[in-house]
Amino acid sequence: MLTQDQKDALQEVANIGMGRAGASLAQVLGHFVILSIPRIVFLQPEEVASELTRIVGESEVSAVRQAFQSKMRGEAIVIFGAQRCNDLADLMGYEEDLDHATEIELLLDTTNILVGACLSGITEQLNAEIGFSAPSLLADRMPVEELLHMGNVSWQNALLVEVNFRLEQRSFACHLVMLMAEDQIAVMAEALDHFLESF
Amino acid sequence: MTCSPQDSPGLSLQLLDFVVDRLEVGIFAVDASMNIVLWNRFMASHSGRLGTEVIGRNLFECFPELPVKWLEKKINSVFVLKNYAFTSWEQRPYLFRFNHNRPITGGIEAMQQSCTFLPVKDEADNVGHVCVTLFDYTDTALYQAKLTQAIAELDRDKEVQDKLIAELEVAQEALQQLASFDALTGLANRRTFDKNLSTEWRRASRESQPLSLLMIDVDYFKRFNDAYGHQMGDACLQFVATAISAADLRETDTAARYGGEEFSVILPGTTLDGARVVGERIRECVQGLEVPHKQSEVSSIVSISVGAATMIPTSRRGPEQLIAVADDALYQAKRAGRNRVVAVNGDADADVVPAATTA
Repeated sequence: MLTQDQKDALQEVANIGMGRAGASLAQVLGHFVILSIPRIVFLQPEEVASELTRIVGESEVSAVRQAFQSKMRGEAIVIFGAQRCNDLADLMGYEEDLDHATEIELLLDTTNILVGACLSGITEQLNAEIGFSAPSLLADRMPVEELLHMGNVSWQNALLVEVNFRLEQRSFACHLVMLMAEDQIAVMAEALDHFLESF
Repeated sequence: MTCSPQDSPGLSLQLLDFVVDRLEVGIFAVDASMNIVLWNRFMASHSGRLGTEVIGRNLFECFPELPVKWLEKKINSVFVLKNYAFTSWEQRPYLFRFNHNRPITGGIEAMQQSCTFLPVKDEADNVGHVCVTLFDYTDTALYQAKLTQAIAELDRDKEVQDKLIAELEVAQEALQQLASFDALTGLANRRTFDKNLSTEWRRASRESQPLSLLMIDVDYFKRFNDAYGHQMGDACLQFVATAISAADLRETDTAARYGGEEFSVILPGTTLDGARVVGERIRECVQGLEVPHKQSEVSSIVSISVGAATMIPTSRRGPEQLIAVADDALYQAKRAGRNRVVAVNGDADADVVPAATTA
């Protein structure tokens, strides 16, 4: 899929990207954000469910997906635990009590800024413009193993980048997963080569 | 944008202005201080505020009803993250409370809106403005509401249907009961008797097992009716039916009201001796009831005569022959003085129960 140099470069780009993302998220939320070091894995469709279960470590989840388009296309999924992101409501400017629709909107809003910050953090370094579609709800309190049915997909290999979020002094935590299919990995490889040449 | 500025830059900009202004989509933009810098015709006509009134002024001063904290946060995130942001009518029905264009046919309170917040970047990649596009989703919302309603109605119809089916099943069962049982005595009726007898006949024929039949007649019943009236007559038949039911019949036996004051019991897999025992038990049960019968010539209480018959069915004969033999046994019991059991082997000669068993 990627050469060792390309993998190292991607890890480097992702590390720097998350650093930038953390800084801008802190600015938006007015609160310190802790981002894990991104973990990069190559997966086959049948491995996705078990990988997600392993990442989440919780049985019931809510999740939002969002498509991104730049040189590379893919989908990002943000997975929330039982607490969802209600602990984030005030930081996101929500003042009223959360009814079901507002809770969902908060999930979508939170996903949008997390995905936006993290992906921009990566693509900026690769000199790629990035655009996003509106996020949509993938799971509203559902068993994690039912999250992604990979029975009928058009890809054999995918690149998965996983980042964990936490807020300092708050209970909020969630997982961000970016998935790109193999045809996009080739585009990524090319972009990484350009990145390596620029040093 | 497919304009070609090389040909006529003035025209293409003019065209662009025209499109932005006249598009049937709300378009507005704010700077970092939330001052309005763009306000198209859609926004003006629906808000009732002209561009000349609002441009250059703070968004939240012009529209204090907007959710300030949340919206400011949202727009700021676009400035900081240089990123898109979205709202959907499904979670937040509207940003601006606008009238929609279905005031008559709508039935929905305000225009349903989905918005996209776009970062407007300059050449140095800084976001100087945020542009907001506002799409009218009222029609979609109405269709979705109709769809949701239709699904709910389907569910409700299904519930009604299920309930009707359950009621129908209960009614069918009751009807089955009515069709199979005798209304007065609660025993099987003649129809069920005929059906069960031919079923048991075929089964016994297949398995070469004996099949026994009791024919039971209430002694001097016509006189009982004359003496006590028809209502007491009915009660008497009910007593006898109770006695038959009390005689420890098996699940597979069929006790039936054969007609008038005649009863019968089908006893599958029972020999002549077994049938005689059952007949005797029923006779004793009836005696035990001690229903007075002043017009009886054999006793002061109601009694019965029982004819018992047994056959091992073969395909050459039919159940009607078993009935004929049992009827004959009953006739013999009456001839012999009533209040007794006479058992006849349908495959051999008559066998009269010793007089010792009579009352």
